[in-house]
Amino acid sequence: MSDEATPYRKAEEVKPVTSADSTVDRVVMRDIRKRYGMVDALRGVTLRVGPGEVIGLVGDNAAGKSTLMKVLAGAVVPDSGEIVFDGRPVSFSTPRDARELGIEMVYQDLALCDDIDVAGNLFLGREPRKAGGLLLDVAQMHRDARRHLDALNIRIPLTDIPVGGLSGGQRQAVAIARAVTFGPKLLILDEPTAALAVAEVETVLELIKTVSAQGVSVILITHRLQDLFRVCDRLCVMYEGTLRADLDARATSLERLVSEIVAHDQIDPGAGDAAAGDGRRENDTTEGARR
Amino acid sequence: MTTSERTTTSERGGGAAVSERVVTTRSARANAHIGKHAQTIAIGVVLVVLLIFFAFSADRFATTGNILNLLRQISPTLIVAIAMTFVISTSGIDLSVGSTVALSGSLLAIVLQHGWDPTLALVAILALGALIGFVNGWFSSYQNIPPFIVTLAMLSIMRGTALRATEGYSTPIDGELWIVQLGQGRVAGIPVPVILAVVIAAVGWLTLTRTPFGRYVIGLGSNGESLRRTGVNTRKVGLAVYVLTGLAAALAGVLIATRLSSGSSNAGSGFELEVITAVVLGGTSLFGGRGSMLGTILGALTLGVIANGLVLLHVSPFYVQIVQGAILLLAIFANSKVWARFGAVRK
Ligand SMILES: Nc1ncnc2c1ncn2[C@@H]1O[C@H](COP(=O)(O)OP(=O)(O)O)[C@@H](O)[C@H]1O
Ligand SMILES: [Mg+2]
Repeated sequence: MSDEATPYRKAEEVKPVTSADSTVDRVVMRDIRKRYGMVDALRGVTLRVGPGEVIGLVGDNAAGKSTLMKVLAGAVVPDSGEIVFDGRPVSFSTPRDARELGIEMVYQDLALCDDIDVAGNLFLGREPRKAGGLLLDVAQMHRDARRHLDALNIRIPLTDIPVGGLSGGQRQAVAIARAVTFGPKLLILDEPTAALAVAEVETVLELIKTVSAQGVSVILITHRLQDLFRVCDRLCVMYEGTLRADLDARATSLERLVSEIVAHDQIDPGAGDAAAGDGRRENDTTEGARR
Repeated sequence: MTTSERTTTSERGGGAAVSERVVTTRSARANAHIGKHAQTIAIGVVLVVLLIFFAFSADRFATTGNILNLLRQISPTLIVAIAMTFVISTSGIDLSVGSTVALSGSLLAIVLQHGWDPTLALVAILALGALIGFVNGWFSSYQNIPPFIVTLAMLSIMRGTALRATEGYSTPIDGELWIVQLGQGRVAGIPVPVILAVVIAAVGWLTLTRTPFGRYVIGLGSNGESLRRTGVNTRKVGLAVYVLTGLAAALAGVLIATRLSSGSSNAGSGFELEVITAVVLGGTSLFGGRGSMLGTILGALTLGVIANGLVLLHVSPFYVQIVQGAILLLAIFANSKVWARFGAVRK
């Protein structure tokens, strides 16, 4: 089944995924497929992330980035494929399964409850409790929320107002704080800087550097390509539900990255790629005919 | 750094030289809090005005006897409205509560006539109510069928079952049985249904505002997918609220049947409308995400005062129904148009 995806990949850049690798990798996703009715959102994607590694996941709109990450966060159950986390095969049927392993995700649509206050959203699903677990420890919740927000340098003066009343940037900050607060092993950020001001974007990029230095693996989806080169170790390009390229961020130019994203055929990175290039063109034609 | 300094200043409430940003957020908090409580305050004011009006216009209104009688009358409504507040906060609805009242009251009378032990009968009826709620919740929450349709179907099924079981006659309940005290008894002069309603209201308020479950109920109505992604089992929460209304409706049926010393398949007609009106009147949003237990209590009291006052003024009881429907419409209108200005209400 993977032959459909193979033409999109550069053989020398995709590191072979073997069982030996799985023991050192934080996470390996193998041949993940997901179909929504007529839409083939994921057509066999293989992705690996090392401990402390920062991956930039890029691609055109509807390439399948968000869907792939939702699979990893347990929010979407794939049709097929396997996930190996810290060397152990896992399968997530709910986001709770993924969260318990230390996978946290900031969703593109933020996924906040507008009617619940800042502290409530930060701790949603893992509220501090008292009275033998029967009651919420509201005071503790606000104290901890204050502490976590300050530690992350997030400017939200009040933790007891509903998040529906916050600005776009503040809401995004709350979503990020929720993901990093509970010491994740893998942090997924789906366009986390879209609504942020310049200074706030810097804070997020610093945050990514800090947590990855502590061994947290990070997958960053963003359209701000210049940011990727500042924080990422590897750049993975998705194209129409497949992983098109897996590049070393330090050895890749912005032009090269752009041409991979738009699936530009003319730019040929090497002679060894001629066959793959042909395959790609062929595949593109069939794609075009299908559409 | 500056952020935390500002915060502490603003939290202490002092400091004239606080930045503009904090001031704006402070007014946002004020707005949010007013928005949250505006409707509760409004319904409280309406209630006080009504109380004063009836106290002066109807001689017997402001007597201890009448007030206790009024409270006993609204107890079943209030008990179910407390549970309904959870359902509506999840953006659900339960239309089957009136039929469940009829079925549980009828079956209670029938099994007592067959010589069942009253305690066993009570437990069985409550279990039946929970089961009805479970079925409602399973179809709505696990099968994603709109609760409006599910509970409308159950409304018909339960009413039909009650009619079939009683053949349309009402069944008397022996006044010697202890269970009759549930509807007719008094403790220190206070009717037992009133005591039950007060206890259930207190537990309901605590559950909605102070427990993780209450938090998830609000979260489910506010943004269910968001709640699911944080790892909460949203389907379980969505099912549980219907079990609560089923249980509450069964208890209400028992209270009504034991008060009248008879179980009737015609009991509880229009009951769901009364309950939903009380909840919406109290400021709970039909779109979910906002629920006020105090508002529900005030809403149920308001409905009770209107019904009782109009009867004392010798207004035809048929008008009570017209007034109730009009109030529901007005309350929903206010809910979605007027209070939305305070920013805390969505949609
Ligand atoms: N819940 C869904 N139902 C139907 N189609 C979906 C759903 N989620 C994603 N898709 C489709 O899958 C494709 C990939 O979407 P997505 O993963 O959001 O892309 P990206 O994040 O790269 O922009 C798109 O064509 C999108 O329309
Ligand atoms: Mg996306």
